[in-house]
Amino acid sequence: MTTPARRRLMRDFKRLQEDPPSGVSGAPSDNNIMLWNAVIFGPHDTPFEDGTFKLTIEFTEEYPNKPPTVRFISKMFHPNVYADGSICLDILQNRWSPTYDVSAILTSIQSLLHDPNPNSPANNEAAQLYRENRREYEKKVAAIVQESWNDDDDEGEEDEEEEESKAGS
Amino acid sequence: MDGNFSYDPAKNYDEDTMAQQRAIEKEIAESQSLIGSVLSFDDIVEEYAKEDAVYRHKVEDLKTRYKTVRKVRGDGNCFFRAFGFAYLERLLTRPEEYSRFVDITQKSKDKLLALGFPQFTLEDFHDVFMDIVSQVKSPGTVEKLKETFNDQGLSDYFVVYLRLLVSGELQGNEGEYLHFIDGERTVKEFCGQEVEPMGKESDHIHIVALARSVGVPVAVEYMDREGNKCNLLSFSPGEGGEGGQEAQPSLFLLYRPGHYDILYPL
Repeated sequence: MTTPARRRLMRDFKRLQEDPPSGVSGAPSDNNIMLWNAVIFGPHDTPFEDGTFKLTIEFTEEYPNKPPTVRFISKMFHPNVYADGSICLDILQNRWSPTYDVSAILTSIQSLLHDPNPNSPANNEAAQLYRENRREYEKKVAAIVQESWNDDDDEGEEDEEEEESKAGS
Repeated sequence: MDGNFSYDPAKNYDEDTMAQQRAIEKEIAESQSLIGSVLSFDDIVEEYAKEDAVYRHKVEDLKTRYKTVRKVRGDGNCFFRAFGFAYLERLLTRPEEYSRFVDITQKSKDKLLALGFPQFTLEDFHDVFMDIVSQVKSPGTVEKLKETFNDQGLSDYFVVYLRLLVSGELQGNEGEYLHFIDGERTVKEFCGQEVEPMGKESDHIHIVALARSVGVPVAVEYMDREGNKCNLLSFSPGEGGEGGQEAQPSLFLLYRPGHYDILYPL
């Protein structure tokens, strides 16, 4: 039997396809509707512009009553993103509302890139540079924007390595 | 706690906190179903130590007005779940009131949309809510209703919609409620922080707003350490509600600090 969480995720996906918000995209992984891959394009007029940042969104059966776990897979340099890619954003924690869908989650993260909250830092260096040395901050961000373009190649290499190790065993 | 704890600035402690919270929720879930069976007050007395005279005395007081009590899981949603179950249970035997409730909740969707709630997700909750409500149309049964309310997915959808109704009532009548909100926050902020998120506990303002939004008078017996008797508070929906200003409560709840259960009058 399909659960409310799965039914709702199908609806979220349909909506994302029919009415895609600009600058974000997302889809369930091939064989698991509870695990999504998403991309956020760096918003214009921010240091993140032109970056293509990958994320995973992991849902539980409690969705949409509980928020999913969202993580950047691409390297990120942002005051509210932890070293492991997880995000400090109130709507993904104690201010989650069940009326948010995947589309709302992704656009909220997109606007977080635009508008960091240095008062609840997850990355102290980024928060400090954002406050005190905007030029250096932008330089560091520019570096991860560049890296975000290489992600595809990296994954390709990893896949190849995996293939090799399989072949070896 | 670990005496050698040292703060790691690169670690996401929010996730740890959330994991801990989930573990506590799981423990509660295993010991109490979302909507429990009907219990006698003798079962309730068992929960208190022999020497706890105040509470034992108050249970005796309740016995003079109520025949049984139904326990609800303490997960921060107990007011909404208790309200939802108790009211739908009442509608099982009241077809006219059922029609009134269907009418008012059907119309509620457009009211919420007009307040700016997102259509896509609102419709999802409204559809499931109306499905559950239709289960009590005759010949519905308490057993079926209980089964539905113990299905976490469906039950939580029902709770979410009640929370949205409260949020809509507060935001739609902002001026009336603004002064009852503590802290420097707007009604909208309050709804975002204390009403819409699941698991946020309910206070008087939630009860008043829900009673008004669906026109259902509610009475709550407050059972705490003060005085000898429970303190009965009635929340009337005011004009336009079931039976008007002096209406008999449609449902009774028992409040013990931090928790609501359902009461059945004699």
